[in-house]
Amino acid sequence: MNTYAAAARAFPSLLKTGLAEMVSYRVELVIWALTATMPLLMMFIWDRVAATGPVGGYDQNAFAGYFAGTLIVRQLTTAWVVWDLNEQIRTGSISPALLKPLGPLWLSAAENLAAVPFRMLVLVPIITCICLWRPELALGLAWADVPAAAAALALGWMVYFFIQVCFGALCFYTEQSGGIYMGFYGLFTLFSGYLFPLDLMPAGILSVVQWLPFRAIIQTPVSIITGQLHGAAVLAPMAHQLAWAVICAALARWSWRHGIRRYEAYGA
Amino acid sequence: MIEVEGLTKVYRSPKKAPGLWGSLRSIFYREYKKVTAVDQASFRIAAGERVGFLGPNGAGKTTILKMLAGLLVPTGGTVTVAGFTPSERRPEFLRRITLVMGQKQQLLWDLPARETFELNRALFDLDKAQYGATLDELIALLELEPLLDRPVRNLSLGERMKCELAAALLHRPDVLFLDEPTIGLDVTMQVAVRRFIGEWNRRNGATVLLTSHYMADIAALCPRVIVVASGQVRYDGALDELVAQYAPDRHVVVRLLRPPTAEEAAQSAPLSQVDGRMEALVPVSEVKAVVDRALRTLPVSDLTVEEPPLEEVIARLFAREKR
Amino acid sequence: MKRLRQILRAVRAQMRAAWMTAMQYRLSFLGEGIVSLLWTGFTVVPLIVAYDYREGIEGWSFNECLIVVGVFIALQGILEGFIHPNLGSVVQLVRRGTLDYVLLKPLDAQLMVSVARSTPLKLPHIGVGLALAGVMAARLPDPPGPAQAGVALLLLLCATAILYSIYVFIVSTSFWFVRVDNLSFLLISVLDTGRFPVVFYTGAVRVFLTFILPVGMMTTYPALALRGLLSPRGALTALAVAAAFLLASRLVWRTAIRRYSSASS
Repeated sequence: MNTYAAAARAFPSLLKTGLAEMVSYRVELVIWALTATMPLLMMFIWDRVAATGPVGGYDQNAFAGYFAGTLIVRQLTTAWVVWDLNEQIRTGSISPALLKPLGPLWLSAAENLAAVPFRMLVLVPIITCICLWRPELALGLAWADVPAAAAALALGWMVYFFIQVCFGALCFYTEQSGGIYMGFYGLFTLFSGYLFPLDLMPAGILSVVQWLPFRAIIQTPVSIITGQLHGAAVLAPMAHQLAWAVICAALARWSWRHGIRRYEAYGA
Repeated sequence: MIEVEGLTKVYRSPKKAPGLWGSLRSIFYREYKKVTAVDQASFRIAAGERVGFLGPNGAGKTTILKMLAGLLVPTGGTVTVAGFTPSERRPEFLRRITLVMGQKQQLLWDLPARETFELNRALFDLDKAQYGATLDELIALLELEPLLDRPVRNLSLGERMKCELAAALLHRPDVLFLDEPTIGLDVTMQVAVRRFIGEWNRRNGATVLLTSHYMADIAALCPRVIVVASGQVRYDGALDELVAQYAPDRHVVVRLLRPPTAEEAAQSAPLSQVDGRMEALVPVSEVKAVVDRALRTLPVSDLTVEEPPLEEVIARLFAREKR
Repeated sequence: MKRLRQILRAVRAQMRAAWMTAMQYRLSFLGEGIVSLLWTGFTVVPLIVAYDYREGIEGWSFNECLIVVGVFIALQGILEGFIHPNLGSVVQLVRRGTLDYVLLKPLDAQLMVSVARSTPLKLPHIGVGLALAGVMAARLPDPPGPAQAGVALLLLLCATAILYSIYVFIVSTSFWFVRVDNLSFLLISVLDTGRFPVVFYTGAVRVFLTFILPVGMMTTYPALALRGLLSPRGALTALAVAAAFLLASRLVWRTAIRRYSSASS
């Protein structure tokens, strides 16, 4: 528990470091953010599908709102710690970071947070364009649901971050885990609601997919910030998020510790 | 072989204002300042000569070398190398020159050096038999045999430089441009590289132009030196004369059998006592007198008269520049 | 003729070295093939879901749409296996100054940097894409003949030329601003729009994909050719556009090199 108190004390300065780093990489950051445009593509195809009438309860405005929400959530709940770890473990530059009282994961988390303003910057023009294109789009968050939305975004980010830590810790054993991670990422795009609202899937598949962690990262926050879910209806999906956040955190903690022990024994 | 007349190179470099605001402003409006890297340089180098370029960092040595090799287009003046204008980079010209840069490598990092050699054979369209003969000669001279089949990334810096030299010479160029070829190498490797370059010049009569931070490279290889400072040629001539001109003193050192008495020491001026021996810098004209006197008055065990190290000569040359 | 043969020999030697380098990292074709199949699946699944609700979208049936996906995957393989590794390395060459060595070889520098790092790594990916397009085309009610297949391949070649040229534009800017490697990722994600027929896009986006960055031409045209719906005029336009892009890339490259040799230090 002591570590966490120390982390909480150090976090503001970590955040400042992260912010400085993000400022110096601002161009790259904006370009990276711009590459997350897949929902935009999917919005066009679903818009065409819905041109002749709504499908599964979604009309053109609902799709525009859904994918605008997806773009926002994706920018806010993303993480890249798996790539940092791949790089740092491969080059050995993680060793000095391990010697510090606070592990490198804290800085990664701070960087994620620090990047948020820049990522929002990219969102503004894109969301504006979507609003101009479909002025009636379904993107309405009631004030009462703002705390739930914030909590859902935080939980979604935690699930994604901790899963990435698990894959990153794999590098302690295999030196490279980017490839395996990309396999996970592919499943993520399909089963998180990133490419289409999950309720459009055949019911049989959906009944399996909804137990998986993926939807905690995209679909749940999206359905809250678009106002699709509100009031007490947010509780069930958020319980699902919380459960997976706890499981992933435990898994991340376990694999990280194991990995480090192995790294200290063989690698370094 | 090489004719350079009034060679000038002026860079335009953007003036960058500091800070975020400055870099934002520079997107729209840039101020430039002109930097004259090479200023009206003229010299001629005959076939088979070995010439060293001397000068402090940023003096323009590398810029001159790059213009001679055709990598940089001169702002003014004319250059001819082997009858070609280098900056046109015609294939016939490129086949007759080579450039080795101590800090940049052309070897394929992940493959054995042999593969780079093969690649260069194809790029230069070399005749198989002749290529084989050249490679054998290079392998023998540079003792490459044990290095050829190891990935370049596993070679030491010195071993890599030997392979770089071989890769650069496979097409038997007439003109060798060597930019700091010994930089970072340990002393034995420096000697090996130096010896090789000298030997290659002797065997093939190739013209060698060399820049180096290590004066020993220049002293061992180049009878002629061109001194460059702030882009201008300050001296062009024999190394010996340079030394004579800028180093009119000799370093006289006398080792003694026993410590001198006060009287002996006084008589042997201008020599003075340093770490149990007597030494002084003496003008050439007085060396004989000083040495004669020392031999008469002191219990001499050993006596040496040396030219000052080349580094010191050059330092003095540039010190005079500044005044 | 002799000159041409020499150039070919040099190109082959370059590729040999690149392939050997790739072998160093013990690539497994099987592994790459499986990954390609997996990603093809990831690309197709959203279409399966969408076509679950409609027979056809904007005049494209599911099968026809998969032809576009196949062409897109092949083009993606070409970009990631042959264009990106080669031209992407130019940024490194400029940064490290080793472009000097390329310029001092008696062969055209653009040609050399364009082939020097080609690897077979993405051949399975290209194969998967071509196979998907081929199989789906064969299952059309009116399957294409060899002539149409030939035109489609030619159009894929045009698409490669356009993509290559755009990449040359991006890389050439690295002679002015060194930090541009990221822009190539942006190009890869713009190419992502090519996974659907261009008519799926509306408004400004379609205009952009048709006239500015002709991604529509790159993946939709070959599919249209296989469907027998591409007019000769369309095919000729694609050829002309590809030629114009190649020419422009040549000019831009030469300007960039001239700039490099007048301003580098």
